[in-house]
Amino acid sequence: MLAAAHESGAAVALLSGGTDLVPALRSGERVADAVVALRRVLELRVRGAGADSLTIGAGVTYADLVGWSLSPGLARAARVVGSVQIRNTGTVGGALGSVRPAGDLLTYLTAADAEVLTASPRGTRWRPLGQFLAEGVEADGLVTAVRLARPGGPQVHVKIGGRQAAYPAIVSCAVVVDRVRHRVACAIGGVGRLPARMGGAESFAVDEVDWTTGTIPVQAARRFGDLVVEAVAGISPVLPVGPGESADYRCHAAGVLASRALARCLHPQATRATQPATTTELATDAQPGTARPSDPTAGPGAAGRGGGS
Amino acid sequence: MRHGIGQSVRRPDGPAKVNGAFRYAGDLRVPGMLHGRTLRSPHPRARIVRIDTAAARRLPGVAAVVTAADVPGVATYGLIVADQPVFAAAEARYAGEPVAAVAAIDAATARRALAAIEVDYEPLPAGTDPTRVLDPDAPALHPTGNLYREIDIRHGGIWADGPVAVEDTYRVGMQDQAFLAPEAALVIPAADGGVDLMVATQWLHSDREQVAACLGLPEELVRLTLAGVGGAFGGREDITLQIHGALLARSAQAPIRIAYDRVESFLGHPPRPPARMWFRHTATRAGELVSVRARLVFDGGAYTSSSPAVLANAVTHAAGPYRVAHARLHGVAVRTNNPPCGAMRGFGVPQVTIGHEAQMDRLADALGLDPVELRVRNAVRPGDVLPTGQVLAGPLPARELLHLVAARPLPPPPAAGSELSLPGGLPAGADVRRVRRGIGYALGYKNLLFSEGMDDSAMARVRLDLDEDGSPRVRVHSACAEVGQGFVTVAGQIARTELGVEQVVLAPADTSVGSAGSTSASRQTWMSGGAVRGACVAVADRLLARVARAAGLPARVVEMPRHSLRIVAGEIVGAEAGLRIGLADALSHGPVEAEFTFHHRRTTALDAAGQGDPHVAFAAAAHRAVVDVDLDLGLVRVVSMALAQDCGTVLNPLALRGQVEGGTAQGLGLAVMEELVTDGGRVVNPTFHDYLLPTAADVPELDFVAVTEPQPDAPYGVKGVGETPTCTATPAIVAAIRAAVGRDLRSVPVRPRDLVDLSPSGAVGPAPSGADGPAAGGATPR
Repeated sequence: MLAAAHESGAAVALLSGGTDLVPALRSGERVADAVVALRRVLELRVRGAGADSLTIGAGVTYADLVGWSLSPGLARAARVVGSVQIRNTGTVGGALGSVRPAGDLLTYLTAADAEVLTASPRGTRWRPLGQFLAEGVEADGLVTAVRLARPGGPQVHVKIGGRQAAYPAIVSCAVVVDRVRHRVACAIGGVGRLPARMGGAESFAVDEVDWTTGTIPVQAARRFGDLVVEAVAGISPVLPVGPGESADYRCHAAGVLASRALARCLHPQATRATQPATTTELATDAQPGTARPSDPTAGPGAAGRGGGS
Repeated sequence: MRHGIGQSVRRPDGPAKVNGAFRYAGDLRVPGMLHGRTLRSPHPRARIVRIDTAAARRLPGVAAVVTAADVPGVATYGLIVADQPVFAAAEARYAGEPVAAVAAIDAATARRALAAIEVDYEPLPAGTDPTRVLDPDAPALHPTGNLYREIDIRHGGIWADGPVAVEDTYRVGMQDQAFLAPEAALVIPAADGGVDLMVATQWLHSDREQVAACLGLPEELVRLTLAGVGGAFGGREDITLQIHGALLARSAQAPIRIAYDRVESFLGHPPRPPARMWFRHTATRAGELVSVRARLVFDGGAYTSSSPAVLANAVTHAAGPYRVAHARLHGVAVRTNNPPCGAMRGFGVPQVTIGHEAQMDRLADALGLDPVELRVRNAVRPGDVLPTGQVLAGPLPARELLHLVAARPLPPPPAAGSELSLPGGLPAGADVRRVRRGIGYALGYKNLLFSEGMDDSAMARVRLDLDEDGSPRVRVHSACAEVGQGFVTVAGQIARTELGVEQVVLAPADTSVGSAGSTSASRQTWMSGGAVRGACVAVADRLLARVARAAGLPARVVEMPRHSLRIVAGEIVGAEAGLRIGLADALSHGPVEAEFTFHHRRTTALDAAGQGDPHVAFAAAAHRAVVDVDLDLGLVRVVSMALAQDCGTVLNPLALRGQVEGGTAQGLGLAVMEELVTDGGRVVNPTFHDYLLPTAADVPELDFVAVTEPQPDAPYGVKGVGETPTCTATPAIVAAIRAAVGRDLRSVPVRPRDLVDLSPSGAVGPAPSGADGPAAGGATPR
């Protein structure tokens, strides 16, 4: 069908959730001779788990993901996208198809090393997310699924914007920890055209984590944030600065968010030598991706307690 | 009387608004109508070299294209000064200024037609800095110059300063009314050569006057009916699409639907003017205010709109509701190439309240006094002389409001476990140990009704008759624009109370009845409420006189029937005369009708020294705000708002609550998020994606106390209530944020970047001393 449409020269728009496409058509920003609604293509609406991976159809909505226990980090990221109406209609495929810099899911998928499956008359192919974002979808192609590794540890997604209710993110951050493979991944959104991985900070964290307990020293969590600030400051071009924002605030906030997100995953300890008895319990108790409200982040309270070490 | 005044009567249009059946202006359709659309200048300032509409006219489906050359009457319009062109002709003066309009068979064709209009612009250097446009070498941005108005109030004898002084400069951003139903009208050309408009507006008769002048028609050929209004807040006082729609309808000889989308709405109506304000306050060491100086610059944008009147409000209120022996209050409203600014809820007062209240907090700091105590000591009382020389009359319980609001219970401290209730909400992952609480207060007052000697009036017509079933019925006809404030409810309450008849119907608001004046300036309950009451009293008099005459009562009763006869529960009763007759029987001889025009007391203009008796009356309010701030991210959550307000007699407690909650929410928006940002004159965020509004998750439940001292010269003792809380909500929140973070804040809205340390050393987790552990509860206003 896509091939036929492509060959006919008609402008065909693919409609999934429509949260980006419908406003664009209405404002005249996009023009289409035909709109193909994908909502009833049931193959696109399934999600599944293999031994090592999770596969999510492009037609899966944010609302579908909100309660998905197999991927708590993705569930958390999906939970804070837009309003409930947007979550009910917006889809994973749409998030990849339109690629808005503020797209929340993209930050998480970047940290999670997602792969994207596209289909075209020439067949299907998997591509790493980064390559997919660089190349885009072919004119006669369609995003059909996204694949992630099964979580091997805690995952956290946080973002900030201009109010308490649903907002477009100014800065977002996802941290994905894999305790089995001893990996830490961190992506920051809102500081460049696309979310960026914080390679230097990730390597630093991997070396600092006590992989037996799944914890990290307080000072290392702070340093992690500082490294993110440095990395983000080097990204160019920084996004056009929106109303009420500034580039230096975005950098600063990226560091704070990264430090806090890491702390939620790895429960910073004042010192490795004097681990409190609860450490083990904390570590095993921590469900991947669940946010712990009281973590000694890089605040002065934590710093004070760690001061003697 | 059931559903009479004083009761929480529900809105007659409430169910339809809630279930989606209410017809807003944008919902109006007629068969065969065309779609109108406006072409706007992309340049903040440009000479228009050439406009060629030939290609647009040739497009199939295009019925009309109009430009400045097609305006048959006066080329310009305006609320105070007619300086705004219907379409820019030789020069465009702001980005978004209308240049042409088209009518086509559908919206897409209309859009294509706009794209086919060729306009050659020659961009000119734009004057977008309001502090520079009065420089001697600044180019005149309009033949009448760059100054809309200058006011210089000099109050006090020989100048004196107190020993304690605070001074600073403050900035307030451009807030949009952001009503939810964008501008819309249905315009139908009439067989008599006139035109009928169904439009969402705030003042039908002012629209009519301006539309008729530009169309070159006598006013009676321009008929307006109010279409459903989805919010206004001052943003529908100015003409937007009315004249364009009428020109298109007359040119195409077909009905036109003209409606803005969100972007065009942001560009189409004048928002609240941004302000730069310098203040210097001095006091005795005991905390008595000695002098206030202020210098205000209000950016009026490209055309006059309401700027002269907004400035008068700002300057006359600049010292706030405080006794001060010496004041020098100076202000200018200037022309720039920014979007025209005009009326918005509070009308110049919110800006200066932000300034004088920040100053009062800093003065309290400098004096080592509690901020509430300092305000109580200096608050005005009736009989005090204001900086304009006006003697404050009537009730103004400023000190009582402060005491009341300070005594309201405080919310519990921030708690771990509920991220929804921490700054930034669910996604931000605020750290409760890095959250600091702050408490702030603001006192303010706002004038009611039109000022500066304007003989403002409102007319209403009331008819008492029998319905099809023979039951008495009151029909109220007023041109008062119902924009959500609740006049449709209050008018019914007044008619029921005055005439003892439960069944009241409101005729559509239109120009077939006299002007009700503008739905603005907190004036309609007082003014049109007074007109409805006066007309009801006249109807009662006529009916009672008729009954007295028919009953053969003495001439003195016929002449002064109310002294002997009363309408009680559907009956006319004269105890002395032994008369008792059912209202329906009395009306069987025919309906009774009367009109009444209400005037408020006269005021005077300001003289050269800014002295006079400019304002009809005042209402005061005091807010207390409690906020939580994430110290590392600069995110703010407003935790609680308490309000004590000077309300006069309360006609409808439910409607009052709606007004004060809405006013508080709009003030909250200005405090922490709402700003139309311009870059070189161009609005960069004209969408709800980028211009954020507070939602239910952002606005805490309002803890509200009304003080109900009646206003002596107002009907029933009412005061307008909608604007005052908008003036005080913003500065109370800003004060609370200041208390939380310990920084002076000079720019509103307050942004996260203003609250965190962005220096390299403060990159992650700044460590202010003493911030260990939950910062909640220990916060003191400072």
